[in-house]
This record gives sequence, C-alpha cells and structure tokens, in this order.
Amino acid sequence: MKTKTCNNPVGTGKYTGLLLISPFIAGFLLFTAYPFFASLVLGMTETAGGELRFAGTDTFKTMLRDSGFRKAVGVTVKYTLILVPLKLAVSLFAALLLNMGIRGIGVYRTVFYIPSILGSSLAAVIMWQYLFTSDGLADQLLGLAGLPHISWYGDGRYALWMIILLRLWEFGSAMILFLNALRDIPAEYYEAVKVDGCGSIRAFFTITLPLLRNAIFLNLILQTIAAMQEFSAPYMITGGGPMKSTETVGMLIYNEMFRFGDISMANAVSWGLFMLIASAVIILFRLTGGMKEEM
Amino acid sequence: MKRKAVTIQALLCAAALSACGSRTGKDVTPPDGKLDGCTLRFSWWGGDDRHEATLNALELWETLHPEIVIVPEYGGWDGWTEKVTAQMKGGTAPDVMQINYDWLISMSPDGTGFYDLETIPGYPDISGFDSEVLSFGRAGGRLNAVPVSISGRGLFYNSLVYDRLGASYPSTWEELFELGDRFSGSGAYPLDLDIQSGGTAWYLAVVYVQQQTGRQFITMDGHLGFTTEDLRAVLDFYKELEERHVIRTIQTRTDEDGSAALYQSPEFISGKVAGVLEWGSSVGKYEMVLPDGALEAGPLLTDGEHTGGWMVKPSLMYAVSAGTEYPDEAAAFIDFLLNNGDCAEMLGTTRGIPSSSFARERLENTGRLNGLANDCAGLLDSVDTVTISPYMELPRMKEYYNDAIESVSYGTADTASAAEALYSSLTEYLEKIRR
Repeated sequence: MKTKTCNNPVGTGKYTGLLLISPFIAGFLLFTAYPFFASLVLGMTETAGGELRFAGTDTFKTMLRDSGFRKAVGVTVKYTLILVPLKLAVSLFAALLLNMGIRGIGVYRTVFYIPSILGSSLAAVIMWQYLFTSDGLADQLLGLAGLPHISWYGDGRYALWMIILLRLWEFGSAMILFLNALRDIPAEYYEAVKVDGCGSIRAFFTITLPLLRNAIFLNLILQTIAAMQEFSAPYMITGGGPMKSTETVGMLIYNEMFRFGDISMANAVSWGLFMLIASAVIILFRLTGGMKEEM
Repeated sequence: MKRKAVTIQALLCAAALSACGSRTGKDVTPPDGKLDGCTLRFSWWGGDDRHEATLNALELWETLHPEIVIVPEYGGWDGWTEKVTAQMKGGTAPDVMQINYDWLISMSPDGTGFYDLETIPGYPDISGFDSEVLSFGRAGGRLNAVPVSISGRGLFYNSLVYDRLGASYPSTWEELFELGDRFSGSGAYPLDLDIQSGGTAWYLAVVYVQQQTGRQFITMDGHLGFTTEDLRAVLDFYKELEERHVIRTIQTRTDEDGSAALYQSPEFISGKVAGVLEWGSSVGKYEMVLPDGALEAGPLLTDGEHTGGWMVKPSLMYAVSAGTEYPDEAAAFIDFLLNNGDCAEMLGTTRGIPSSSFARERLENTGRLNGLANDCAGLLDSVDTVTISPYMELPRMKEYYNDAIESVSYGTADTASAAEALYSSLTEYLEKIRR
C-alpha cells in the first residue's frame, strides 16, 4: 500500500516558523508598532509657523488643562458606563431567546445581526433623523402615549441617548458570543436541577450565569474598548453637539487632526485615550479576576 | 542596553518627525513647458448646480484636450476641509483643487503647500485679473492660487412666504427685528442663521457690530480688532435675534433639522424658514429646492446712517498641488476654467461673478451675467465693504465663536462672561498662529 507523505513546501529548517509569521510581524511593526510610538513622539511636538518642534510634555500638559479634553473624557466615560451594561443585558436576553430551540432560528439570528452590519452608515443616520427630529416617529409615539415632546437632537441630556440607542440596537456580535457560550452548557445540568425542583429563573442564576462568566467578561472587555473608541456615531448623527454633549475623545482626536490641523494635540489626545482604555481594562481585570478556565 | 534603547528612541523620533514635517524641501516636479497626455484629479465642493455646470465644462475640456483626462472629485461643503486636510497631510491631494481662502494660512503658511503658479511658463493667463484680487492668492510671496471670484454673503428671502404674510424685505436692522414680531404668529421665521459649517450666526452679528463701530473684527494681519465690549455686543445682538423670533434658537433649529443642512431641511423647503444669509457664489443650492424664482435677494441691512460692515472675500480659488507630476497640464486646465469663454458660459455664476475679465465679458456679452449671484454682487457694490481677514475663517476660530454663541443661546453663560472668555481664547490663538 502506498503511503502519502505531505512535504512542507518551505522546509522544516530552524527559521521556518519565523519565515511563516514574518508577514504578520512586518505588518505589525509597520502598521501598529511604528504608528504607536510615532504618535507618542508627535505628541511631544508643537506646531509653530507650519513647522513641528520638540516641546517635551508641553502638549500633554495643555491637553490635561483643556476643558474640551476633560469634557470629552467625561462624555466618553458616561457613554461607556451606560451603554456597556445595557448592551450586555440586551444581547444576553436576545441570545437566551434564540437558544430556546425555536424554529427558523437562523432567520432570527440573521435579522438580529443586520443592525450590526449597518453600523453608523448613512442609512442609519437618515433613519435616526426620521425617528428623532421633532415631529419624527419617536415624538409621535410619545404624543400618542400622552407624553411630552423630547428634544432629542437639541438637548444634551437626550442627544447622548440617541447615540446609545443606535449602538444598543447593534447588539448582534455580543449576542453571537453569548449564544455560542450558551450552546456549550450541557443540557444535563438543567435536567438535573429540574428534577430537584428548581425553576427556570433560579436555573438561570445558578447555572447559566456562572457558566457564562468567560463570555460575559470577554464581551465586557470588547464592548468597553469599542465604546471608549466611539467616533462614527456621534460624528454622523450629532456632530458632537449640542454644547459638545456628545463629543467623545475619538471625535476630539478627529477634530484636532483634520479640522484644526493640530498634529501634536491630536496625537497627545490619542495617547490620552490609550491610557484611558488601558486603565479601564486593568480595573475590569482587577474587579472581575479575568477569565477563568472552565471546569 | 541603555544605548540601544536611546538609539531606537532617536530613530523613532527622527522617523516620526520626518514623516509629518513641513513640505519645505519636498521634491517639486518642474514644469517642462509642454502639454503631455496624462490624467489629472480635480476636486471641488458645492451644490448640485455647481456640480452639474462643472461636469459639463469637463466634457468641453475633453473635446479640446482628449489626451488630458480629468477625474472629478466633488461633494458638499460639510466635511470637505477635513477631507482635503487629510489628503494634503497624506500626500494624496488632487492635482487641481478648488480651495478656500483660509486654507492658504492653514495649509501653506510659507507658500510651499501649493505649487507656485508663476513658475509655470504660459499658464494660467493671469492678465485678466486685478493685481489686488491676485494678491489674495499669494502666500509667502508665491502665487499659490488664483481667486475665481470675489464674493460676499447676502440676504435671500423666500418671496412666496413673504408675499403670503404681506411682509417686505427689511432694509434696516430695526426692520429685521420687527419682522420677527410679524412672523411669530404664523410660526414661520423671517431668517435662519446657523453655527454649523456656515457659521452665519456669528457672521451677521459681526457685520452689525462692524457697522456700528467702524472697527474690523480681525485685521488682515491677524490681530483682533474688537474689544471685549464689541464681542459682547455681537452676542447681545445674536441673543436679541432669537428672543424676538427673527431666527430659531439653536435648540429648536437642531431639534428640527437634525444633522441636515438647511437647504435640505423640510423647514426651509416648506417655507417655515423664509430667509437665509449665504454667499452669492453658493446660493444656487437654496434656489434649486424652492419653486422657480421664489428666492430673491434682499437689501443689505444698515442702521439708516452707516452702510459699512458687510464683508467680501475671494469666494473660491484654484490651486495646483505642490506634489503634482503634471504642473503644465494642471495650470492649463486652471486657465481653461478661469478664462475660456465657452467654459465661462457653462459655469455661469455657479462660483460667483468671475474675477477673470475674459470670463466676465463673455457672460456680459451673452446676457448670462444675471441671477442671484449677480444681484448679490450688485448689492455688495452699493455698500462700503471690508475684506474678510483669512484668520477669521480658520476652523479653530469658528469653534470659539460657536461655543460662545451656543453658551448664550442655551443660557449657560451670560453675554458678558461669554465675551470675556471668547476674547481671551481669540487673542491667545491668534498670537500662536502669527508666531
């Protein structure tokens, strides 16, 4: 009998592994590591007369004193603190519904995922315009319910909620992670507790939630990072207004770089955002203990 | 180890700074004095009327120079500056660009950001331009751009709404305020001012105070001409416009229009907002969304005694990218846009009344020097105008004006404290820019 052998076309030498991962390493060095450190250097410059000059930590100090930066950090933190728990709750709820073994689950899953594809595209912007401008659908529904008009676009207290609602609507990717984790929970666990007289709500808190720990943590980290980097939704929908109540740190970076042409400040703020995200992730790891190996 | 770290750090510093340094020293392709076959990118912003006319002009160019292909890149004004800034910083700017007045300061402070047109033999022909007009296109002694037209903002009204309410166009500031009372019963507004990309709220209030005081808001060399009291007067004037129902409050406006531009908003199209302050060179986009002939130019407001304060500037300019490989061809194309008679007929007044005497004569001879742009230019000719300082339109300056107006409109600051904060921001920033 003829045995088949599979020859590695690049050989099995000492550096084969390195050779194989070199495209990634090159891409990482060029497009991640280099811009990462270059932005730190650029943050240590100042623009004067069209030229960049070394300015040490002056731009960072100016940034920390700037009320615009502090406000943007406040908006970003508030947005993250509201959006992330809500999104986790909604996506977990949707995943639980889809895990109930209903017919045509693939169709529902697709339908629930579609908003995530739309993102903050022009279509979403036009739809939000239709929904939330005065006399829009949201206003009409409030009127039917006998509730007063809400100035969604014009009032800073509600404008941020418009952005939150858009992102909340896009719960598809978080839902998929939960759904996969739910599928991994053995059905025997539920059967066993059912025999012991345990109801579905108690089963959720004693079996489902503890076994979803890693999925919750992963979603928490991913959604927190994404929320803190928010740019496109406020840019497209509110432009950061009114009164900068929706201007996130991501928007501030864009404005400094492309509207005001201040390379130094844009890069300093980028590092400010990096530190903010890094701090948030460290705090989350400390508070939750990170991911645990499943038994 | 330490030495290695320092070396790596130094290399990174050098690489980062060299990547984003000034354009000085950048390789510039010298002109060769002949037109070769090539493809040029041409970018502009504007409304549909301008897009349509320009695309027709490009078809004409193709018949004259089939070997030089023009690739158009166009869109609305919102976000356009950011797009071009990114292209300029990334070295991917189009060969030929329609640029704004203040871009010379922000993108070419020393004159090396754009191609020096005077180094290109033969093209473009600038003999039909007034030397003062051309001076607006100079930076660091180099001719970076040629102004297409000189334009100012004028007042335009929806005549159908005014007729329905039996109102006349105001000619004094007091008449404008009185219109607010007349319109308030109907739920309509006689005028609209914005704090978005147009920044018309600040503009009109500055005109008012310039007319009252005779002082220029910002001088041509970038000094603040207004005192704190003048800035307070600007904000008081704006607040009164809101309070007397002449314009919508910022909250109402934002609530009704969302992120849509005024000419795309149902409020303007339906006539709820019956007036707009707009550049004569850009008013076509408002005209297009209303019934034919509905939009009319109204008088420039005065206090009955003084007529000054209204402002003009080069509305748009054509420039060639400093990094173009085809300077001769790009300059020839600019010459076509500025001076070619047939092209002038096609473009009409979609970019204002042409500064080129060749183009203007052609429009005059063919009876095409008409429309709202022409009406606006005529009205501006009849008053004492001042040239807008390019510093006034810098995006950071606009941000300061808008912050002040917004705080007054939302009531988070009174006009006195907003004026003080604004004065300090403006003087500090202007000093930094002039350095």
